[in-house]
Amino acid sequence: MKDLEKSAFWKKNSKLIYLITAIALLALWRPHAILYGIQRGSLYSLIGLPLSLTLGVVGIMNLAHGDFLSLGIYVSYMFFMNLGVDPLLSIVPVTLILFGVGVLVYKLTITKVLKSGHLNQLLLTFGISMILIESLNVIWTSRPRNVYVPYASSSMTIANFTFGTYELLYVLFAFAVLIGFQLFLKKTRLGQATYAVGQNPRGAKIVGINIGFVYLVVFGVSIAILGIVAGVMLPRSSIFPMVGAPYTMRSFCLVAMAGLGNLPGILISGIVLGIGEAIVQSIPGYSGWSDLVFFGVLIAVISIRSMRRLAL
Amino acid sequence: MRRVFLLAIVLAVMAMMAIAATPIKIGAVVPLGDITGDQASKAMRLAVEEINAAGGVLGRPLELIVIDDELKPEKGAAAIEKLATVDRVDFFVGGMSSGVHLAQIPIMKRYQKITIWIGAASYLCENAVGPTADWYFHLHPWDYQQGESYGRGWSDIVAAYPEITTDRIFLAYEEGGFGTASYDSYIALQKLAAQGEGTWAGVINDFRGESFKSAALGGGDYRAMLQQAKAYNPDLFIWAGYDADALPILQQAKEIGFAPKLFVGAPPGWPAHFGDSPLAEGVTLYGMWAPTLNKVSPVAEHFWNAYIERYKEEPATYFAPLGYTNIYFLVEGIKAAGTIEKAALIKALAELEYDSPIGEVLTISPSNVIKHQGFTAQKILQWQNGEQQVIWPLELKTSEPEYPFPKWEGR
Repeated sequence: MKDLEKSAFWKKNSKLIYLITAIALLALWRPHAILYGIQRGSLYSLIGLPLSLTLGVVGIMNLAHGDFLSLGIYVSYMFFMNLGVDPLLSIVPVTLILFGVGVLVYKLTITKVLKSGHLNQLLLTFGISMILIESLNVIWTSRPRNVYVPYASSSMTIANFTFGTYELLYVLFAFAVLIGFQLFLKKTRLGQATYAVGQNPRGAKIVGINIGFVYLVVFGVSIAILGIVAGVMLPRSSIFPMVGAPYTMRSFCLVAMAGLGNLPGILISGIVLGIGEAIVQSIPGYSGWSDLVFFGVLIAVISIRSMRRLAL
Repeated sequence: MRRVFLLAIVLAVMAMMAIAATPIKIGAVVPLGDITGDQASKAMRLAVEEINAAGGVLGRPLELIVIDDELKPEKGAAAIEKLATVDRVDFFVGGMSSGVHLAQIPIMKRYQKITIWIGAASYLCENAVGPTADWYFHLHPWDYQQGESYGRGWSDIVAAYPEITTDRIFLAYEEGGFGTASYDSYIALQKLAAQGEGTWAGVINDFRGESFKSAALGGGDYRAMLQQAKAYNPDLFIWAGYDADALPILQQAKEIGFAPKLFVGAPPGWPAHFGDSPLAEGVTLYGMWAPTLNKVSPVAEHFWNAYIERYKEEPATYFAPLGYTNIYFLVEGIKAAGTIEKAALIKALAELEYDSPIGEVLTISPSNVIKHQGFTAQKILQWQNGEQQVIWPLELKTSEPEYPFPKWEGR
């Protein structure tokens, strides 16, 4: 009986155990790269998680995802500059403001293309992206800005190994958001309704679930989560209108790698890609190859998965 | 007969009045969405307003027509075409990006109007203009001239301050075109220096470069590159990236405890309020101008005060005084020539000496390819107590260099 249990545990968690072992071995070779990779990968995951939820439940390919992050960073910056609110404390009001923005954008625009094809949705969200970028440009110009808080460059030394500690917050928040999403989807009525809508919208409607309301909340929450990211990123990032834009493509990559609706997979994919990127960057003369590795790993994972499906 | 004579006089006077009222048209092409183009165009307008308030030039007012190239080559090229055919301007001014300028040069060659350009530092632009374009005046130093001037600057500094050394240099460069071009030029300069030639001879003995992805292009994690720099232990660490990289690089250098003796930044511009950050103290930079030049140059002081009074903001990039210089250099040339006729004006501009708000007297000399090159050097500056101080040229210095770069503790 115990052997059976062991075998079942191994079967269920073998991939994760392999992954952890591989990371531990790499850590002996390049400890800095592993730490930086986990930190950066967690940031990618933190931004990718809400996109995955929107894509999985509402079915919208939001090309403005990263630009809502830019907006959140500017709002957080305004709180810091005008009211002296610490970026980490500004997470609360910025999240609420972005939730409102998300709800407004959903009501005014997204509802109009829900039943249209993907092309219309892409065009609409691309348009929203352009409007956001240009508005930020007009209001704040393209000149980068920064905030300075001493704790953002805090570090720790363990046996001659000096490393930055601030970006561990990315890891903390990524896990917190993932756990929050899982609890919401499994333990709350609205979460269960969301799960049902994501699985089968027509069936959910037949059993009386208000699909429109679920879509509204999911879209609003996915934008609101970017308010958390904005507050955490602000002390470490320059602020300019295009600051969030590159994360849109990265988030889509994570969703593609993890599979639609696989929230823990987003976190794992982010960390794997982050580590791959950091290892390449740590090799003298090869740091320019990090993007290639990022997308190479992505293509390899998607190809292996599709080959497995074909083999079944 | 008397009536005919009177009529002829009236007509002649009217014709002269009409010519006098006709403005001299100047067409400017700059990227208005970028602070460099925005402030350059504002400074140009300021110069035009000042000149018109003083009665214009040759009794005629100036008219400035500004077109935004949006940093896009096709828009920049179309802007030159429009200025030449629709607005029928007399002169072209402006400029920023080399990529945009490469698309404009063939159209400029078609119209061959007198052109005074303040941007586009790439030698590729110089090659595209060619040696025969005598109507083309380029005020910004070319990229190779900048590299040579830094070598001259460090040589002078090392000679003047024996405690400063620059033997081991580490260049961190962004992986795009701008950073890669910087890396290539350093490699070329180091090769020359190794043979005992060029301005870097005796200044650089060992060199290493490593690329990074700029925050402006979706990067922003410099720690791997900084770890390599720390292990190399350079005398002079220099990064060639964009303004978005400036503070995060310092933050991450502080985080890993990397404080080289000279921390140099070479972005085209600096982020807003950079000097206010405690991390900025002691950072060395390259640039053509600093607000502290007001202390040593009355022209720079006049420009500074006039700009702030007119726009209620401070000039934050050297393209502001360059834009101002762009207009004044042209107008002083017209005054010297006494006409806007092409050949006479080219001759007058080529011989002109203009005391510019950049802090130097602008004169024209040939460069590697073109006949009419203006400035040939950048300056070496340093952030001290929130201000950019000039530390080289030594004759223009506004402060002593802060050396070595201050430790991170307490910042």
